[in-house]
Amino acid sequence: MDFNPCMKHKVVRKAVRMFAEAELGPIAHDIDRDARFPREVVEKMRPLNFFGLQAPTAYGGAEMDTISYAIVIEEISRISAAVGLCLTVHNSVGIYPIVRFGTEEQKKRFLPAMTGGERIGAFCLTEANAGSDAGGVETVAVRDGNDYVINGTKIFVTNGGVCGTALIFAVTDTQNPQRSAGVFIVEKGNPGFAVGEIEDLCGMRANPVSSLFLEECRVPETNLLGCPGDGLKIGLATLDAGRIGIAAQALGLAQAAFEDSVRYSKERQQFKKAISSFQTIQNYLADMATEIDAARLLLYRACAVRDAGRPFGAEAAMAKLYCSATATRVTNTAVQIHGGYGYSKEYDVERYFRDAKVTEIYEGTSEVQRMVISRAVLARRT
Amino acid sequence: MLKMVVCIKQVPMVSELPWDPATGTLQRDLAEGMMNPACRSALDAALRIKETEGGEITAITMGPPMAEEVLREAIALGADRGVLLTDRKMAGADTSVTSHTLARAIEKACPGFDLVLCGFSTSDSETAQVGPQLAEELDIPGVAYVDEIEVSEGAVRMRRISDHFLETLEMDLPGIVTVTAGLYAPRHVPLGGLQAAFAAANIVSLDAAAVGLDPEWIGAKGSATKIRNVYSPTAGKKNIVLTGAPKRIVEQLFERFDDKIGGAIGKDLKTDKNSK
Amino acid sequence: MIAKKRGIWVFGDYRNYFQNRVTLQLLSRAKDLATKIDAEVCAVVFGHQVDEWVGEYIAHGAEKIYLTDHPQLAVYSMETYTLLMERLARQEKPEIILVGATAFGREFAPRVAKRLGTGLTADCIGLDIDKEGLLLQMAPSFGGNLVAEIVTPERRPQMATVRPGTFQEIPHDYIRTGEVVKVPLPEHLPVDRVRLVRLERCPQREQKLEDARVVVCGGRGLGSKKKFAKLFELAELLGGEVGATRPVVYADWAEHEALVGQAGKPIRPQILFSFGISGAIQHTAACNDAKFIIAVNKNPNAAMMKRADVAIMADASQICNALIQELKRRIR
Repeated sequence: MDFNPCMKHKVVRKAVRMFAEAELGPIAHDIDRDARFPREVVEKMRPLNFFGLQAPTAYGGAEMDTISYAIVIEEISRISAAVGLCLTVHNSVGIYPIVRFGTEEQKKRFLPAMTGGERIGAFCLTEANAGSDAGGVETVAVRDGNDYVINGTKIFVTNGGVCGTALIFAVTDTQNPQRSAGVFIVEKGNPGFAVGEIEDLCGMRANPVSSLFLEECRVPETNLLGCPGDGLKIGLATLDAGRIGIAAQALGLAQAAFEDSVRYSKERQQFKKAISSFQTIQNYLADMATEIDAARLLLYRACAVRDAGRPFGAEAAMAKLYCSATATRVTNTAVQIHGGYGYSKEYDVERYFRDAKVTEIYEGTSEVQRMVISRAVLARRT
Repeated sequence: MLKMVVCIKQVPMVSELPWDPATGTLQRDLAEGMMNPACRSALDAALRIKETEGGEITAITMGPPMAEEVLREAIALGADRGVLLTDRKMAGADTSVTSHTLARAIEKACPGFDLVLCGFSTSDSETAQVGPQLAEELDIPGVAYVDEIEVSEGAVRMRRISDHFLETLEMDLPGIVTVTAGLYAPRHVPLGGLQAAFAAANIVSLDAAAVGLDPEWIGAKGSATKIRNVYSPTAGKKNIVLTGAPKRIVEQLFERFDDKIGGAIGKDLKTDKNSK
Repeated sequence: MIAKKRGIWVFGDYRNYFQNRVTLQLLSRAKDLATKIDAEVCAVVFGHQVDEWVGEYIAHGAEKIYLTDHPQLAVYSMETYTLLMERLARQEKPEIILVGATAFGREFAPRVAKRLGTGLTADCIGLDIDKEGLLLQMAPSFGGNLVAEIVTPERRPQMATVRPGTFQEIPHDYIRTGEVVKVPLPEHLPVDRVRLVRLERCPQREQKLEDARVVVCGGRGLGSKKKFAKLFELAELLGGEVGATRPVVYADWAEHEALVGQAGKPIRPQILFSFGISGAIQHTAACNDAKFIIAVNKNPNAAMMKRADVAIMADASQICNALIQELKRRIR
């Protein structure tokens, strides 16, 4: 078991870090303040394969291993978690379900535009009455000849405001929602598909999270992923993959907050000494460092199990649970270490603090992650 | 087919020097490495030529084993193969020895080359000497500080600004140029290219023996110059620190430096003539 | 027979004579070094119809001039000059050769050093003689953040290139005399493999920022575009120019033309006011030649604060405003 990063992972990290610091660093603060999605940076990311990180090369992807993928998301999120969020949702829950469950025809039809970043992906599950309870979904897709007609409203859709390809979770038989759910691919421009208002959120503000309205939205049956009834299976597998991306995003936030705290504590003087010489601050930094390391190891372990082709749901849940909790704790402590300045928008830590909280909520709340883990624990034969 | 060789150096990736004030030395081993920015520009120039004229690019670097990183990056950006010159005996080389080592390696690994491209200088040592010395070692024509370059029909046309002169120059191939950072904005590394660069095994590693180098003429042994001492000119610099309320600080500033500031701006800043 | 005196040679880089004083500066330094090792100061001149410069070099301290005057040398030629210097050095065996670090010199000196099999230190910011009589060469690296003291213990000549402005020329004295040694052009000169197709004088580009006596530089620490904009008012009061760091240009607080850094413009003001700048190497490297630095930053340990002559620990924007008020008061 070699815990040292291999050369490829070091080089990937450095390449993405250089890109993130050069292109996102100068604007990260302002895009959060203005809730502006940085299209100009997205344009620069497109030819560099940021929108096709793990997709097969046959469809324009970079076919990276999962640890490399996690590193990319972490390094982008370290500078702008909102942009990291866009990338992970697009790659893990936008492209991945199509790669895993799509037919060859569907892959050829939908993937090239997505891997090139021409169309940004979004996965639409959540509704007003269906959050953790996916069974409460009310969006309905009714068979009509060779088509399906979809009606419903999805809320809190990450990338909603800019998405070009949406994966809609809908039920086909309202009597039997669980067994009849399906995932439908709907492209922007399709009549009956409309983007609602962008949400005004506490954090991740540069990501255009919005509602999506489906009104008599007609799609051919060839836009259904898998078979009718596969929806639950696809949804669960997708969330497993998505967890790794979110964990990496949370890790990036924690890392950024930690680095800023170390730097600040060396610079800030009180009582004629740098505050890094006080044991309280030293304890904070020690705890932060340890938690981040533990989070990182959990994440990479989940990545490795996935790449080995073994079931990785529980490991991914552990990583997401722990990385998001670490992000919340570390960013909270970071603000504390910065004192009054930490509360001001002149420093970045308040943004990390605001951004961190939602990592414990979306793509499966921490409560849901615990459900997944405890089920796996209880199912193990002792 | 146009055979190009791009010399790349891996330099410490530092935006802040890992200076150890206790020992008075640079903690070079703490710093991660990166491709020297000017070398990146040289690679860019080669890629542009490859795009218009076609050809093959070999990236070559001399350094410790981790210098392989810059070769993988170069391949990700579009170079065709990499050559890693690595050997403990090569450490501590000055520019003359470096150019000797590189020259012999280029002759060995890229026989029949047409054009060698280097960055004009490195961000760490900043001597800008290796390029011209490489021209001497390879006994080929060379031009340094090239801003623009074009290759066609076995000849190279270059433009550069040199000591307030705008020069247009020409030379036949084989030749060598050192490239400035100005004109070519460096590209970012594509991630798909990086993935492929690590998957393919087209990097060759050569040590001193493989190149056929005499140990007496390489590394620190072969170097004519010796570093006696390295220091930070700002370490221990006694500067004046002003703190307090802004108004008071500015008052203090003028109290001590009104002549200096006044001299620089050509105005009298003394307050005797003004009433407070 | 009197033993021949050792020679400290200075390459006569006479192109752009009136702006380019580096040869004169080196002659002055060479004179100081010469007294320490009992050597004679010589200038080496290759060209055509260059008597004026020969006279100037003697007036500015050269005791001897090695001169090759020929129509073929009317324009600087890298390969030809390298060959001429090599032959001359092999013949006369100088102790030290100094070359001004102009663009030409920085390419010429390494070639000569390579041909003579000796070492070369680039861009020296200081030269001295140590107790063993060796040339002590002070060279910067890492954007000027480090200085190395270098010697060439065995090989000869000891060679160094020196940045213009490092040394002061001594005033000319036309009473001074010197010996002019005429060196003939070798008979079979190889044709230069680099062909000069066109040579034009650079259009005199306005270099307001690079030439400004006072520069007011702003970084992210100022906080906002509006606060950054106050620097223009300050600069106007000081008769200076505004510079910016890369993050600030990126955030669109300033134009790219204002970028001070390795990817932008180098500055060499009498006074540099640095507001809210942490001091990344890429920026400070371009500020090396500032004579006096006043830095303002909340963080006393920022690299720019360490480098400054006056470090003001305060909010950059507030100090900028206070300075504007105070200057308005004083300048009537």
